[in-house]
Amino acid sequence: MFEKLRKILDKVEADYADVRHEIKKETVISFNGKELTQIGSNSTDGYVARVLKDGGMSSVVFTKENDAEKAVLAVSANARLIAESIEAPVRLARSEAVKDTFLPALKEDPRKVPIIEKLELVRKYNDIPLAHERIATTSISYEEVIREKYFVSSEGAEVREDLVTTRLLGEIISKDGNLAQNVRVRAGGSNGFSTIRNQDEYFEGQTAIVLDLLKAKPVEGGAHNCILNPSLAGVFTHEAFGHYSEADLIKGLPAMREKMKIGGKLGSDVLNIIDNPTLPNQLGFYKYDDEGVRARPTQLMKNGVLTGRMHSRRTAAEFGEPISGHCVAEDYRFPPIIRMGTIFIEPGTHSFEELTDMLEDGLYILDAKGGATSGESFTFGAQYGYMVKGGKIAQMVRDINISGNLYQTLKDITAVGNDLVLSKVGGCGKGPVMQSNIRSCSGGPHILVNNLVIGGA
Amino acid sequence: MEQLLQMAKKVCDKAEVYSIEYTDNSVFFKNAGLDDMDSKFQSGISLRIIKNGKLGFAYTRNLTNRQGLLQNALDSLEGGVEADYDFPLTRELPQLDTYDSSLENLSGKVLVEECARVCDLLRSKTDGEISKMVSFTHTENIRIMNSEGTDSSAKSTEYGMFGNLTYPGAGFGIWRVFESKSFERMPESMVNEMIELYKISSKVVESKGGKMKVMFVPNSMITLTWRILSGTSSKSVYEKTSPITDRIGKKIFDEKITIYDDPLNDRYPKARSFDDEGVECRPFTIVENGQLKGFYCDLDYASKANVQPTGHGYRTTRWGGDPITLKPVPFLTHMIIKPGDKSFAEMVKSMEKGIIVEGALGYHSGNIPNGDYSIGVCPGLYVEKGEIVGRVSDAMIAGNIYETLKHVVAVGDTLHPCHDGAWVPAILCDDVSVATKK
Repeated sequence: MFEKLRKILDKVEADYADVRHEIKKETVISFNGKELTQIGSNSTDGYVARVLKDGGMSSVVFTKENDAEKAVLAVSANARLIAESIEAPVRLARSEAVKDTFLPALKEDPRKVPIIEKLELVRKYNDIPLAHERIATTSISYEEVIREKYFVSSEGAEVREDLVTTRLLGEIISKDGNLAQNVRVRAGGSNGFSTIRNQDEYFEGQTAIVLDLLKAKPVEGGAHNCILNPSLAGVFTHEAFGHYSEADLIKGLPAMREKMKIGGKLGSDVLNIIDNPTLPNQLGFYKYDDEGVRARPTQLMKNGVLTGRMHSRRTAAEFGEPISGHCVAEDYRFPPIIRMGTIFIEPGTHSFEELTDMLEDGLYILDAKGGATSGESFTFGAQYGYMVKGGKIAQMVRDINISGNLYQTLKDITAVGNDLVLSKVGGCGKGPVMQSNIRSCSGGPHILVNNLVIGGA
Repeated sequence: MEQLLQMAKKVCDKAEVYSIEYTDNSVFFKNAGLDDMDSKFQSGISLRIIKNGKLGFAYTRNLTNRQGLLQNALDSLEGGVEADYDFPLTRELPQLDTYDSSLENLSGKVLVEECARVCDLLRSKTDGEISKMVSFTHTENIRIMNSEGTDSSAKSTEYGMFGNLTYPGAGFGIWRVFESKSFERMPESMVNEMIELYKISSKVVESKGGKMKVMFVPNSMITLTWRILSGTSSKSVYEKTSPITDRIGKKIFDEKITIYDDPLNDRYPKARSFDDEGVECRPFTIVENGQLKGFYCDLDYASKANVQPTGHGYRTTRWGGDPITLKPVPFLTHMIIKPGDKSFAEMVKSMEKGIIVEGALGYHSGNIPNGDYSIGVCPGLYVEKGEIVGRVSDAMIAGNIYETLKHVVAVGDTLHPCHDGAWVPAILCDDVSVATKK
């Protein structure tokens, strides 16, 4: 394979070039209610080439091997055009030219589990909510994505890495009269099919939650002090803070870049945030990014002070900051962009009881239901929550969506719990040409945040 | 394709081959300067077969091994996915004007120059940061053949531009999308509108929450259209998750609201004479003067509901996706909300107090089947006594579309592109909940 890719590289006249070839194997099993709607395994493949010439850098995607010549011509022409028009020539930060093959150690290789066995397992989980009268329907899928990646560069890098992702995802919908409620289900990971087994109890728990939501009260709109569970703490960290620690996002926003200067005190003293793609057995794990750079932990915030940023080779050179190995593509249909690996607030010292005592009156909100960010503004949903009165958990509430300002919220995190839970299923869209990252992993401990605006119903 | 279809017909009851080939060229500006360009040449083939009432499905990028692809589809039959429908025989489709050959050969330099031109205009008249400016061309060839004898193909081009004029430090701002079948410069009126709105919303103002008038503009209309798409899909009806299942012929929205799907309208890009299952497309009314008229469906859900397919089977998801890898599902790709008679200025003037939602954050979360929404405004332009006085911070708008769209004060007179191929006017609603820190 490397030889074939080298032949493509040989056609390029450039200061730097790389080619990535990927074989993507997908298995999908989907249920809508009782009905099986899709099952099958398929394989596709494609190429991404990048060229740096005279300070202009461009990329091309092609899915037919025969198009290699056309693709090389197009990418070279685009790189030339950029070189003529760009104000500051593109440079790449130095990186070791790695030669390595990395195949992850799996607890049960999903490729060795027969598809019929997978089908029966998903059917069993799907049947758990459907056994209840007030469950209107479900939408549950098993998705297995195996990316076999081959990367070569003109600097001599040759990297083969496999990313094996298994995931169960979907939603359970309950209904009472005209009132419908939904809750998400998420299980899986990066280290084998074992992450899909033994989920019965989890499905039972999620079913109980969506049935309880039929009796829950809509939350009252306005500002509330809240405890966020690890899933929501993760979404906040990812959406509001993480994206603006991605150098490619911040570089188009000079005033925000100024605010996000390394060394700036942005958060409360209790806040330590890290992105660490090297954490073993976590969803966000990878050894090399799609520029062939070895992934490394990046401390983004220490005691509220901004200490680092996630980079590609290009932005690391531009910002004069260290490379971090965060340049990752969704698959062979995309050039790599800067992506979080496993981002989380590091655990503090408080037990959950201490946090509820500190909160006294407010809300305890749980489990992410989508989030989005635009500059300093962010919004995310919680699947359910409870009112907290006098430090005690009280009635369940629903329809919780939160909106806030990044900088204010970083200061309003007043206490951090001593636990840590990381997500099992990811999915983060980042544009302008939308790429989804199914390995996006976030989490954290429980955290106490003051004065969050909740939309209400 | 022909060979694959012949092979499939020999071993199955019914078969369909879908092929797509597409080329993309994009130019990206960041902070008003050229940052990146990329090109994509992609293609693929997808096979659906039906045997003994069961569905088989397989796909590939390169048709180098027909037998292997067919075997893959045959293997997936064993799962037992029910398929109680026939592939259609579609002939004599209307000829649509969807392709401009000049766009296919448009030089990247033209795209770069157009981005630079709009950046210069915005920069010369505001202090805003131009965080993103993107222009792109897309050329697409689709062909569908099936065992009934259908052999339909379509070629289309699309040019688009997106620009974001950002409030310094805030990281968000006023953005506009321009779409066309051919290369056209972004109209001056659109650029001027961005400049005007940016200037009058630069100041952050405090506002109190409560019930007030809220204007959804095309940039935030996905908040409503996503929930309309969910509620009026035959899939939601079949799964009993739509709250309007039994409301055909009944009033669900204010009478000023008419919604239809218009795939044949080739004034806009992406017009289609057949859907991704080869079913003939035609205009389809969903809501007329507030009254629910119909649910849209694909072959599968038409068969389940025992109705005629409406030509709405598309290989997509809410977040797009790779068409060859996706099975068709019911989807509206050409939704139009009928324009009313009020200009944007007239609607603003009629607001004593309220918010114009220029961008919505979190439109994809919440209880969508139920029609609930709860969004952050990003930005939300605050109106007092008929004038925009600035933008509000940390405000959320919440409600349910089946309530909100009963309180329509006015519908704008101009259509603009929205997400998912929809074209919509601005809609001013009353009595919408706004939550703020105050």
